[in-house]
Amino acid sequence: MNTLWIVVIGIVVIYLAYTQYARRVDRNVIRSDAKRATPAKMYMDGVDFMPTSKNILYGYHFKSIAAAGPIVGPITAANIWGWFPSLLWLVVGVALVGWASDYSAIMVAVRNDGNSLSAISHKLIAPRTRRILFVFIFFYLMLLAGAFVGILAAILSARPDVPFGIIMLALMGLLAGQMMYRWKMDLILTTVITVAVTILAMAVGPWGQTKNEKGGLVQGPVGQAIVSLNSAVDNISGKKPLMSIVDPTGADPRVPVPGADGKRPTTAVYDAATGLVRTLPNYLLWMIFLFVFSYCGANMPIWRFAQPVNYIGFWIMLFTIVLSAVGMFVAPLSGVKDAAGNVIGAFALAPVKSLGFTLAAGKAWQPLWPMLFVTIACGAISGWHALVGSIGTARQLEYETDGLPVGAGSMLGEYSLATLSLTAVSIAGVGGGGGRFAAGVGKLIYAGTFGAIPEVFGTALGFGAFVMIVLTVTQLVFRVMRVTLTEWVGDAIPPVRNMHVSSLISMVLTLALVLTGTWVYLWQMFGASNQLMAALSLLVVTVWLKSEKKNPSYALYPMLFMYFTTIFATLVTARNLYVTIAANPSMGGLPVAGAWAMIVVAVLLVVAALFIGWDGLRAYQRYSGKAAEAKPAVAQARS
Amino acid sequence: MTEKEDDKPGGMKGIWRGLQQTIYGMAAHDMSRAALRTRASMEHLFILITMGDLLGVPILPPYYSLRLLPYVVPQIATWKRRMLREKDVSDAMF
Repeated sequence: MNTLWIVVIGIVVIYLAYTQYARRVDRNVIRSDAKRATPAKMYMDGVDFMPTSKNILYGYHFKSIAAAGPIVGPITAANIWGWFPSLLWLVVGVALVGWASDYSAIMVAVRNDGNSLSAISHKLIAPRTRRILFVFIFFYLMLLAGAFVGILAAILSARPDVPFGIIMLALMGLLAGQMMYRWKMDLILTTVITVAVTILAMAVGPWGQTKNEKGGLVQGPVGQAIVSLNSAVDNISGKKPLMSIVDPTGADPRVPVPGADGKRPTTAVYDAATGLVRTLPNYLLWMIFLFVFSYCGANMPIWRFAQPVNYIGFWIMLFTIVLSAVGMFVAPLSGVKDAAGNVIGAFALAPVKSLGFTLAAGKAWQPLWPMLFVTIACGAISGWHALVGSIGTARQLEYETDGLPVGAGSMLGEYSLATLSLTAVSIAGVGGGGGRFAAGVGKLIYAGTFGAIPEVFGTALGFGAFVMIVLTVTQLVFRVMRVTLTEWVGDAIPPVRNMHVSSLISMVLTLALVLTGTWVYLWQMFGASNQLMAALSLLVVTVWLKSEKKNPSYALYPMLFMYFTTIFATLVTARNLYVTIAANPSMGGLPVAGAWAMIVVAVLLVVAALFIGWDGLRAYQRYSGKAAEAKPAVAQARS
Repeated sequence: MTEKEDDKPGGMKGIWRGLQQTIYGMAAHDMSRAALRTRASMEHLFILITMGDLLGVPILPPYYSLRLLPYVVPQIATWKRRMLREKDVSDAMF
């Protein structure tokens, strides 16, 4: 297998899914009509409801949905099961389920006066569905923040060449906000200065790196400064760990990659004999750095920090993705080799590492079904997209016929990003998680620029881009979490209305999850809540189609698959948490408390899903005419 | 932000225009939406001050209200739409 095949498969899947399936559903089931007035035209208020060109809207929707999810999910899945099952799910998921979810969420909102998904579920299914959706959203955000902060802190702690670029990103974000909004400087000049300085800082991180006689990496001046800082912080506890956790899947970035003998070596943070991952004080330092960064993003005026940081991150990400995509195409054709003499375009990762169906008592279970389907969420299907689509995008759609290129097109674009991430991981062959992704990106950039950007800087760019995209999302997640918490409990507990209080509560909850949980479980729980939201969105679409006397099959079957898969995945994760941490006699204190907290969240998610499923079934029957009454849910609740 | 069918260029120019718009959509559309939202909030405050007279609560002296009225009138329709629309948590998220 080589990267060119991935490009070919990607193009074929996108072409067939769009022309042979999506377009038919749009024409025959939804029957979009360019002459029908959209909410953007009917309720134009110049702000939220505003007719917008489909090209702009495509860019806006794509940017809103394609963040860290399509990168982190495929990386994690490839490490657990291999690249082939991951690619298969991406292809099948996006072609049959993913585009349908995004496109339908937009069209349902367009046909319902631009109402949000929660408002439509309130009307069509049951009033309590809206409340349950908010519970989902809050847990979703908490788990997402926990998973992202956990992986970022581990990377910043383990890779001394990365933090400098991120610190400069924060400073450049502040500068960009000042230049654009206070000094009213030209946008292009602002972009060139801030993006160039940030990229330069990312390249300075690994600058001067050498290898010693044993082949070990010796950091350059900037990397060495970060190593000294980490060491000084670790001396606070005499280099003793603050706590230790177990990662049965070995996906935590602090767990080293197995050596030539297939065994993991013991490092400063990993004990190969016991499998314990040690949390040293410098890990806490980088976590606090991330919280400070996110606090600024969540509480400062959006133009001052969050927006400019996001803007700079976007350009760096675009730069990295475009060069990597060119590399995917060029590498197999040119046969370019890396420093070790391997052909860059060839896959080094095993196609199938494990199917995970050997379920041993007392050990973590990672069966391909259902766990793969929650580990890779974005890129195949995601509930977040439905929320963005129904609120942000649907209210700006100029013509109904734009819904397909914007909704389905963006989802297919995100699938491309996910396959690129999977390819980068698969060709790297060494490292783990984010490290493997960065190494693959470094190789692709080297090939894509015909050697103009050396692999070491390409890898630094890959690392920087990865951390940047995850971090820009994390700060926005805390911002949304603060808003959600305030709206949710602000009336009952007035102090929570204070934005600093709600931000701190959100961060403390996240900190508890990161310190006590195991990264993969956090990610899979996030994936489960995300996919349950996707199932809910498809449920709303199914019920709406039924109420409109249209054929709901294209939404109904994917919804049933996602619904049951996700419930089982949540239960398996809860079981893993119990067996490997909560009931593990060698664990104690914080990890056990955290495991129990996550088990409670898992149970809540399952109960909420069962309520929604029951209400959805009743609503479906109502509109099928099987039940005696055929009143809408709200009317029923009032009668 | 929109263009009429007749204004749309074809061929390479059209592709270039499409690419420009897509990049703008990715990079800056959310920033311009946030700016519009901020401006709308300011205008709401402005309208609230001048509309006091309608309710019989002269927040500003009538002379100033009358001077400001021509600026307020064009905004009233969209202001009503925004104020009266049902909102929930998810509206505050994006």
